[in-house]
Amino acid sequence: MTDVASIRPLLAVLVSAVAIPIILSLKGRPNVREGVTLTVAAAKFAIVASMVPGVLSGTVYVFSFGQFATGIQLALRADPLGLLFAALASLLWIVTSFYSIGYMRGLDEHAQTRYFASFAASLASAVGVAFSANLLTLFVFYELLTVSTYPLVTHDETDEARAAGRKYLAYTFGGGVAVLGGTVLVFFLTGTTAFTPGGIEALATADPTLARAAFALLAAGFGVKAALMPVHSWLPDAMVAPTPVSGLLHAVAVVKSGVFGIARLVLDVYGTDLMSDLGVDLPLAAVAAFTLLTASVIALRQDNLKRRLAYSTISQLSYIVLGLALLEGQALVGGLLHIPAHAFMKLTLFFCAGAIHVETHTDDISDMAGIGTRMPLTMAAFAVASAGMAGIPLVAGFVSKWYLVIGALEGGGLVFAAALLVSGVLNIAYFWPIVYQAYFESPESHDEKPLVEAVLGGRSVRADGGDAETVDPETEEAAADDDEVPDPQHIDHLGKHREDVEHHGGPPASGWDQRNWRGAESTWFMLGPILTAATLSLLLGIVPRGVVFLRIVETIVGSLPGVVL
Amino acid sequence: MIEHLPVLLVVLPIVGGTVPLVASLFTDRAGWPVATLTVFVHAVLAGLLGWTVWTEGVVSYAVGGFAAPYGIELVVDGLSASVVVLVGVVALGVLAYARHAGPHSNAFYSQYLLLVTGLTGMTVTGDVFNLYVFLEITGLAAYGLVASGREASSAVAALKYLIIGTVGASLYLLGVGYALAATGTLNMTDLADKLAAVGYDSTLVLTAFGLMVGGLTVKVALFPLHTWQPDAYANAPDSVSAFISALVSTVSAYALARLLFSVFTVEFLEAVPGARWALLTLASVSIVAGSALAVSQNSVQRMLAYSSVSQFGLVIAGFTVATPIAVVGATVHLLGHAVMKGGLFAASGVIERETGATTVGGYAGMAARAPVAAGSFAVLALAMVGVPPAVGFVGKWYIVVGAVEAGVWPVVAVLLASTLLTLAYFARLVERLYFAEPTIREEAAVADGGASVSTGMIAVVVVAAVLAVALTAAVPALEQVLEQTLPPLLNQ
Amino acid sequence: MIPLQLDLLTTHYNYYAVVLLLGIGLYMLVESANLVKKVIGMNVFQTGIFLFFITLAYRTGGNPPVITDGGGPYVSPLPHVLILTAIVVGVSLTAVALALIVRIYAEYGTLDEDTLEQLYYD
Repeated sequence: MTDVASIRPLLAVLVSAVAIPIILSLKGRPNVREGVTLTVAAAKFAIVASMVPGVLSGTVYVFSFGQFATGIQLALRADPLGLLFAALASLLWIVTSFYSIGYMRGLDEHAQTRYFASFAASLASAVGVAFSANLLTLFVFYELLTVSTYPLVTHDETDEARAAGRKYLAYTFGGGVAVLGGTVLVFFLTGTTAFTPGGIEALATADPTLARAAFALLAAGFGVKAALMPVHSWLPDAMVAPTPVSGLLHAVAVVKSGVFGIARLVLDVYGTDLMSDLGVDLPLAAVAAFTLLTASVIALRQDNLKRRLAYSTISQLSYIVLGLALLEGQALVGGLLHIPAHAFMKLTLFFCAGAIHVETHTDDISDMAGIGTRMPLTMAAFAVASAGMAGIPLVAGFVSKWYLVIGALEGGGLVFAAALLVSGVLNIAYFWPIVYQAYFESPESHDEKPLVEAVLGGRSVRADGGDAETVDPETEEAAADDDEVPDPQHIDHLGKHREDVEHHGGPPASGWDQRNWRGAESTWFMLGPILTAATLSLLLGIVPRGVVFLRIVETIVGSLPGVVL
Repeated sequence: MIEHLPVLLVVLPIVGGTVPLVASLFTDRAGWPVATLTVFVHAVLAGLLGWTVWTEGVVSYAVGGFAAPYGIELVVDGLSASVVVLVGVVALGVLAYARHAGPHSNAFYSQYLLLVTGLTGMTVTGDVFNLYVFLEITGLAAYGLVASGREASSAVAALKYLIIGTVGASLYLLGVGYALAATGTLNMTDLADKLAAVGYDSTLVLTAFGLMVGGLTVKVALFPLHTWQPDAYANAPDSVSAFISALVSTVSAYALARLLFSVFTVEFLEAVPGARWALLTLASVSIVAGSALAVSQNSVQRMLAYSSVSQFGLVIAGFTVATPIAVVGATVHLLGHAVMKGGLFAASGVIERETGATTVGGYAGMAARAPVAAGSFAVLALAMVGVPPAVGFVGKWYIVVGAVEAGVWPVVAVLLASTLLTLAYFARLVERLYFAEPTIREEAAVADGGASVSTGMIAVVVVAAVLAVALTAAVPALEQVLEQTLPPLLNQ
Repeated sequence: MIPLQLDLLTTHYNYYAVVLLLGIGLYMLVESANLVKKVIGMNVFQTGIFLFFITLAYRTGGNPPVITDGGGPYVSPLPHVLILTAIVVGVSLTAVALALIVRIYAEYGTLDEDTLEQLYYD
């Protein structure tokens, strides 16, 4: 690899940062404001994309802010791993920006300027996370990401949103403190925090106890954003945010910054060899395996669609962490490839949930029987993405899971391979009923779906791991028909000012109306992004090498010393 | 003239301070221009002195031509030069705020300049008794300034401040007596040698340490000796709160560091681990207790005052850890905290004038009515929490690295937790500012507050917010200045 | 050890006076509810410190440090100078304190700390 000094990594970060004041100043002119967002998103992606060919051929673009603390530089560095995350985030920002316009205007949301400004800030921080050249720089952007997404979580300004925001800050800043502590320890042990492919050499000779402590702190700190159990519970609560936020930030940028931190930790700070020497790989893999199974089970218990998706995210993120923790070539490829694969699929799913919400104000799965007639294209995209989630071939999820399972088997982790497969089955269990009832049932006649509510199965009022709605579909429907009673458990936001006058989910009294397949179900501002994201996940599934991500991933893993592909 | 800079810096404001009093015979509006002119020249000279120290190293000056250790020596090294520059800049900034915010009387500006004198004197002196005198000058001026509020409650707060402050200063004086009895000298450099000769286990030396440091912690307002601070900050006029919250405790903490490094030296801390741990414990307790008290406050200004208790715990912990990097960190946090806290008080003053809100509950939804002040407040609050790249983070980073190097793990834990503790009281305020329905009706606010806000006041608040982030860029330069002067100080 | 302590008792009696003054001063400062008495306590406390310094300077058989009247051991002049300054500081502090008290009395009509506390927090 050759290092080339370049301003491009900095530009990629700054381009959306300088857009913040511009967006704020265009408060009174929404069209121009959104124009700025789209322009900047395109520019950001262009800058990131311009680095792809170079990086694939072994060039690393470096920009340094100069010496900052003793022995520490604030520096940006576009290496293959960073580029993977940056390209993903900036590409999907374009898609999400279009969707945001449709969503925010569709719901006539308040404080749209703040929303778009925060979004730009979040993306600047996310790309900063991607291009950080050392732990300290990473920490800087990691914290900035927390701060810039906070206004998006509390966007609703309801008590519920504020509580979610508080929880979000407490969890992520707590994680930040752990990261800071770990960073200080690494710096103390080695005198540097710079990312080195294969690990920082001096760590191998450092005091193993302290090295383990540093690893634990860093993994726990990044684990908060990666929603590893037991520090995951901020994520379902954060679903109170507008759906584009849940889609891009809480399925891609923010949570993946946590996963990305763990990837840096495994590949570039400790290195695969040192990790197995220290024996810290197995605990990490165990936590990931536990999380991916448990979260899948909890997802079965959620009736609110966004919450179900949130638990699915928690589960899928742990696929990535597990892939990294297995320290085996194929598993690493699978884990890293699952970053874009999951991003495309989950974004599609969230966008579908958002579109359903905007068009019909339906948030609960039990209200969605027959919705395929009302929103055929949306539900088709939903079906594709959920098939991918379950690892069905031709969709992106299949490719990454294939590598993961192969890697787990080759690495001798039979247990982990089993966990992956079981979770795949659970994925089908919680996604298939949604698709099935959307197309093959009607509101008047649908059976109860297996909504596991009690810990040991069956139904009871007890709900932990979130407030699973326990109203059975019949009464829920009655409540929905009776428009005057707002649902107190309502998780997604309807804009609080209109809470009591709006229609409250479920089909209208006359049943879903029939809409055609040519986009009459919603605006193209929303349908376009949905179909784009779904197409991307198909492309990644059918021609994984044609889409550049697999090549980037192979470059990353190929350049690691001591890892055989 | 360059060689007279240290003494000029002290003499200038005290001479300038007499002018408004004399001018009162003719006009009652002479205070502000005179003070501004004086402080401007003071700031320029401070900058010049800082530059001299940066390029040429330590500057020392024998007052009246009497050579140390018999005469009074003024010593300016990297640490004191940074604090002097801070005093100059903050004093100038607060004047820009006070022009409109008041108080407007000539006597106020005389006291203001007297306070600048005291603070500068404390910073440049190299003599422990001289330090006492300037400590009391600072105190006297601060008591007077706190009492300059319109409401009588400010007099009560000032009296409380006076009594506790005097006890602190008196304890310090008593400690000076012990040091004098042990060594027969008052010059700091000389004391360092002679205290070592007497032996660090000597009762006289230990008592002197306890009393001097104990006395100064009252002035710094570490828990549990902080009780004067919330009343004083909350009842003083905005300009005064901004000024004394930014500087008085800061310079006292500087004096404490000076005692630790120049008088008792790092060897003393190593030889007497009890003293070191006592101070570290005090600092850690202060961090936790200050934050806990801050969380339970309803008044924003009182909350900010308790936040100071907590933040100074951080600074003192950094100084006591006493590795070079921790000292750099403590200095960065000392200076950074001054800018942030001064800015926060100024911002709270602007918000009160624009909306009438003074309590945590009252801040709900006020971001819409005072957007610039609220925005700056949020930036400053986050900087104080230690969100990078603001200066609050840099100081914390260095202190934590230093504490890890020194292997004081319990302190490391407290330092790391301090981020969350600070977040606990600032997040609820920022959340209310931006994401809550207003509890104060607009008409009520106008009728109640009514006071107008000048561009100068807004500018000060914004500049503080910008500095809170921009100062990070100055840290390498500061580190360089300190590196030149700290190694001899820390015996590296 | 007992002879030594007796010795201490007889030769260092000045320190007992210092400790006594400090104690009385501090006690008044803390316990008295009357603000004026608090200030008096503060003065007594400071006087204790002044006495400490002055007696520190004393040397048995020492002459006043005025060089004209022949040589010999002098008492140390330094603490005297210091305390002269400290007394000035003390007087200024008392003046400020009394001025504040006058203002407080004019406003609240009481000098009692407890009563004041109630008025103050209302």
